[in-house]
Amino acid sequence: MKVLEIKNIKKSFNDQTLHVLKDISLSVDEGEVVAIIGPSGSGKSTLLRCATLLTEMDSGDLIYAGNYAAKNDENGQSVYAGKEELKKIRSLFGLVFQNFNLFPHYSVMKNLTDAQICVLGRSKEEAESRARSLLEKMGLADKGSAYPCELSGGQQQRVAIARALAMDPQILFFDEPTSALDPELTGEILKVIRQLADENMTMVIVTHEMAFARDVADRVIFMDGGVIVEQGDPKEVISNPKEERTRQFLARFAAK
Amino acid sequence: MTFQTMITQLGQGFGTTLSIFFLTLLGSLPLGLLVTFGRRSKFAPLRGFIKFYISIMRGTPLMLQLIVVFYGPNLIFGLSVPSNWRFIAAIVAFVINYAAYFAEIYRGGIESIPVGQYEAAEVLGYSKSQTFLKIILPQMVKRVLPSVTNEVITLVKDTSLVYVIGVVEMFTRAKQIAVAPDSPGIVTLFVAGVFYYVFNFIVAWVMERIEKRLNYYQ
Amino acid sequence: MKKMKKFLSLALALVMMVSLLAACGSKDSGKQKLIVGFDAEFPPYGFLAADGSYDGFDLAMAEEVCKRLDWEFEAVAIDWNSKDTELKSGNINCIWNGFTYNGRENDYTWSDPYVDNSIVIVVKADSGIKTLADLAGKTVMAQAASSAVDAINGNEAFKATLKEVVELPDYNNGFMELKQGTVDAVAADIGVAAYQMANNSGDYVMLDEAISSEQYAVGFLLGNTELRDAVNGELKKMAADGTMMKIAENYVDAGLVLDNLCMCN
Repeated sequence: MKVLEIKNIKKSFNDQTLHVLKDISLSVDEGEVVAIIGPSGSGKSTLLRCATLLTEMDSGDLIYAGNYAAKNDENGQSVYAGKEELKKIRSLFGLVFQNFNLFPHYSVMKNLTDAQICVLGRSKEEAESRARSLLEKMGLADKGSAYPCELSGGQQQRVAIARALAMDPQILFFDEPTSALDPELTGEILKVIRQLADENMTMVIVTHEMAFARDVADRVIFMDGGVIVEQGDPKEVISNPKEERTRQFLARFAAK
Repeated sequence: MTFQTMITQLGQGFGTTLSIFFLTLLGSLPLGLLVTFGRRSKFAPLRGFIKFYISIMRGTPLMLQLIVVFYGPNLIFGLSVPSNWRFIAAIVAFVINYAAYFAEIYRGGIESIPVGQYEAAEVLGYSKSQTFLKIILPQMVKRVLPSVTNEVITLVKDTSLVYVIGVVEMFTRAKQIAVAPDSPGIVTLFVAGVFYYVFNFIVAWVMERIEKRLNYYQ
Repeated sequence: MKKMKKFLSLALALVMMVSLLAACGSKDSGKQKLIVGFDAEFPPYGFLAADGSYDGFDLAMAEEVCKRLDWEFEAVAIDWNSKDTELKSGNINCIWNGFTYNGRENDYTWSDPYVDNSIVIVVKADSGIKTLADLAGKTVMAQAASSAVDAINGNEAFKATLKEVVELPDYNNGFMELKQGTVDAVAADIGVAAYQMANNSGDYVMLDEAISSEQYAVGFLLGNTELRDAVNGELKKMAADGTMMKIAENYVDAGLVLDNLCMCN
């Protein structure tokens, strides 16, 4: 079954002068791990923001598990679903930000439970037991009463992942989850994502970690200039790219 | 007039000062939030009106605003006003003036909160009002507290302006005592100063306590 | 959501409270009411008594008038600068507080004058100033918007010799400035001058020459002859039957000069 279908997304900024996404289509199967790579400005972050409803696209369809979040009208413009429908659709996905975006005034426990209680309507006990098992899984069992400012960047990002998982999404998006971290802290995040992949979590990961993408992803997508240049088996795309632009990008990357 | 009598009478005037102080805060702290909403509204005419209101409140003397609120209904619109309008007008003028200042402080606080907080809340499925009340407002309160403290202390001293519409609070009372027959004279004004200072000391102490309580996160 | 409701109901309650306050203020006893506007920093005519109530020769007379007419009496301590606005907006219905009639004849509807008053100059006893001419190049204080200011302005030649006329909100400030030397003289109503000299025995002297001679009367809103006639009638009766003099005797200590009561002579 397709968890996410994106059809012909177009998005431009500055009054239609800056075309960031030029007709992108993409679908993600249940249990699939998709890594999106590409130079900055290639449109991969905008694609993620459109998929998570943070940015409205100009044109295209967006479908979660068969439910239309947005659909083209006869003029080819995206028309979004109603408020209630979108609320339902939001509960189907989670997003982990580059900068964590934890709520600083809430303890770790409250960061994990608050949305469960006031969005999903779970009881406090149910939400806390879900939060505790996730914290344990993240190796943060003793941090429930801590505040985000008392944690390292890696710990904060693990809390952010746990917060997203607590909502039981069918698909989890990651927007460069290790970019804001010191190099020695990226490992702990990648380990967590790898573990989730082993548990068959459906994930879309925008990343610069090429080795990680090659090892964990089922499929790698290379984006540049607002289009998908190349996609396929990670080992093929990263180790043996067909397109010249992909080669150039990977070469530049290796040189760094 | 004995020193004892002077203190008693100053105390009565201080009661009026306190009433103005607390009623003004009670009205202007929440009203300021509504004004902030209006200032940030997507509806341009409302936004324009609120901007104009704030610029008038900040751009003209509070003393003039007191006079306009007190005499305006009758002299401009010919309305008859209740006999205790004097005190009500003082409160109304203070509330709408301070609400404008608080609104701008709140706005600065709200706009200083990273957009990522809104996005995280949106992705988690919080509604707009939940996002504001649970995520934005508590963080805003912490950020604006030092500026609010400043305004609150200014308010204590501003209360003396109501003399211009004939409301007798502590400072006017002190001036009356100072010229009354057999009064302790100029000493009265210093004693009034001590009242203000001690009260502001308490206000500052309370605000500091609140700030400390909100220091559990950075 | 709950908090939002709480917040809204709080705001609503506040609005209701204010309108309630406004509503209960408008109750009417049906009796006619005399609302006297006065300056509570102007003894002996209006000042704060030791028990916290307002007292003074003028207020006592106004109260007596109300008693005789079976009216309600209210005294409002106003900011003297705002007296005209207070009167025009109906917040007070007369100005009765050592209120000088001369020079304002056409601005108010007046009662008959009841006190003779002159604007005099008070200086420090050791200043060496003896005449109005000695004030050339000196600084003179007068209460803002008072008849002393009018008197100085009315005497162009005298004013031209002065260095500066300092207008302050009340005479207490003026005499403090005189004491510390930031003004050289104070121009004040004779009653006020007498009161201050009595309270600071020997420090001040009054010049023999007055700047102007004038009279006090009660001022009503221009055209309000009905109220004026009622009050004026009682005032005359009080002067005739000795009540006014009897009231005045209570305020001699506060600086009232009995010889000045022109309505009784």
